[in-house]
Amino acid sequence: MEQLELLMGGFASALTPINLLWVLIGALLGTAVGVLPGLGSAMAVALLLPVTFSLEPTAAFIMFAGIYFGGLFGDSTSGILLNTPGHSSAIASTFEGHRMAKSGQAAKALATCAIGAFIGGLIATTLVVFFAPTLVKMATVFGPAEYFALAVFAFLAISAVVSESVIRGIAALGIGLALALVGIDGPSGTARFTLGMPQLFDGISVIVITVGLLALGEVFHIASRIHRDPIATRIETKGRARLNLADFKKALPAWLRGTAFGAPFGLIPAGGAEVPTFLAYGTEKQLAKRRNDPEFGTTGSIHGLAAPEAAANATAGTAMGALLALGLPTSATAAIMLAAFQQYGMQPGPLLFERSGDLVWALLASLFIGLVILVMINIPFASVWAKLLSIPKHYLYAGITVFSMLGVYAVSSAVLDLWLLIAIGLVGFLMRRYNIPLAPVLIAVILGPMAETELRRALAVSEGDLGILVDSPITVTLYLVLAVALALSAVQHLRHRATRKAA
Amino acid sequence: MSITQHQPEAGSATEPHGNPKPRFWTGRSEFVVVAVLYTLAILLTIGTATMHVQGKSSPGPQFFPIIVCILLYLVATLLAIQILRSPKVPDNSIHPGHGQFSADMLHDLGHLGKEEAEAFDDAPSKTPANTWKTYSDWRTVGLMLAGVVAFVALLEPLGWIISATMLFWVVTYALGSHRRFFDIGVGLLFSSIIQLAFGAGLGLSLPSGFIGGIL
Repeated sequence: MEQLELLMGGFASALTPINLLWVLIGALLGTAVGVLPGLGSAMAVALLLPVTFSLEPTAAFIMFAGIYFGGLFGDSTSGILLNTPGHSSAIASTFEGHRMAKSGQAAKALATCAIGAFIGGLIATTLVVFFAPTLVKMATVFGPAEYFALAVFAFLAISAVVSESVIRGIAALGIGLALALVGIDGPSGTARFTLGMPQLFDGISVIVITVGLLALGEVFHIASRIHRDPIATRIETKGRARLNLADFKKALPAWLRGTAFGAPFGLIPAGGAEVPTFLAYGTEKQLAKRRNDPEFGTTGSIHGLAAPEAAANATAGTAMGALLALGLPTSATAAIMLAAFQQYGMQPGPLLFERSGDLVWALLASLFIGLVILVMINIPFASVWAKLLSIPKHYLYAGITVFSMLGVYAVSSAVLDLWLLIAIGLVGFLMRRYNIPLAPVLIAVILGPMAETELRRALAVSEGDLGILVDSPITVTLYLVLAVALALSAVQHLRHRATRKAA
Repeated sequence: MSITQHQPEAGSATEPHGNPKPRFWTGRSEFVVVAVLYTLAILLTIGTATMHVQGKSSPGPQFFPIIVCILLYLVATLLAIQILRSPKVPDNSIHPGHGQFSADMLHDLGHLGKEEAEAFDDAPSKTPANTWKTYSDWRTVGLMLAGVVAFVALLEPLGWIISATMLFWVVTYALGSHRRFFDIGVGLLFSSIIQLAFGAGLGLSLPSGFIGGIL
């Protein structure tokens, strides 16, 4: 049980008063961006990365750990109380959650969410602690061809399998790959697409791209709709969120089932929590049908809310494992965390545990601490957090606009970055307007350089023979699984189109 | 709720201003995206062709950009064909992350049915009053864009506090706040706190502008 010793070491370095303060700040910020619709942990980390650059890496990552889980703690609040989910990860919990709120059980629903998020995250993080070394061992047999296959898998899974429109998903992927090409090409030293500008030799900063797409793009989108979208009515909650023992016993199996759905999905680049939350919701629905649960679909069943909530945080927990051990981001938020490591000169993957072991274990320990703090600030103060939803929109988005400018200017004090930010913000607005997914852009920007390097490395070894790409059982399996997934999703789209035509 | 629904086809939906006379551009404004993709592809092509390649590694630095170029041309063309064949008007419902995830897939995974669609029927009505001509509010977007462009242009001459206050005020004004002087005060407070917390506290260098010259 070497891991436990290492984890204890991590707790020792994370449990200092100043680091606890960072976790607390991260947890508060994370819950806040989670509660506010349209924002999320990915945007919060991207905005804070540049301004926290003067902190030492451990302190920064401890804070990011709080934000990382925090975003999933608050995300269902707006869905439950307003019936308008603020994040796609909260859609599945809105169905039953809002029904519970309407039948006067809002406080119970909020408590179910917070405890569900806690349980899901706790189990998943524990799994990461015990299985990370196994993943690391697996990753050490990966060569260039395997890493390229992994990148292709992530690209196509996120852009083609899970997205609404295959063409729009691939278009987003193309935009991301193109943005990632700018800068000096590592292996040859050639300046690519820099238009002769030395400021672009390091490429377009990931922070500029993320803040542009997720923050400024969202602000433009809100601006385009603010006088048109209807204003939702909020169900008031009074007092503290609470759950009595009978409800707890009722919800526990659902939390555990949700966790079981969520945990494996953290390892698969399927874009995050949406697929497992719907899967968990669907299962609860089927189970309710079988046991003739009268609450499900009428007054709101605690099962239908508990399972998706636990699934979302379980996915986030194991996604952290895939990120640390394999260097593979499986969701947009994980991609930004990877960018955060790169900012501090570290590369997640097998070597990270050797080179920066102290930081990794401190980060894992602070994920646990973050979960405890999050559940402590979420259950007693759930109705206080819900008050965030009544902040006037114009102040909220004015603040975000100013803060995006600050964050991007802080990257390298360059006005050029701000012009790029506006351009990318407009692209983000167009993509929202035309339902083009954003996650493929982020994944492509982060994994694009890795895919290119590994592809060129593989082809240099084989002297241009493409056969090397499918030369090992691992690559063949990855491509086969991908092909099956693509085929299944094509069948699904065609079947739904047929039923729509028939209807 | 749109996670279970699909965008209405242009032909079947009424125009936002209640005038069902579809013209060629109705539901086809997405050609803007096609234009962006082609522009990106052409820029990449020019950049790849005129690249000063260093070293003699094979495959060289032009190898991957060529693949990305082909991908962009292909996907732009396919998107253009799709828009021509089935124009779409935007739906007015609120849907976070729409497009990120296949509604068909989530529908199947969640065993969604009528109940879930009904759950949103008592949600805020989707189109309270169809009095506007365009889906997007271009006046507000234009104001915001002007605000951020002015901010970037004026940041170094005017300094952080003044330009950030101005940006804050423009955004609140564009988003419909009517308390103008109060908003200027809030903006000034906000940008000053940032200057203090991040400039003095965390050591970020924010431009001080001409005020820095006077003080």
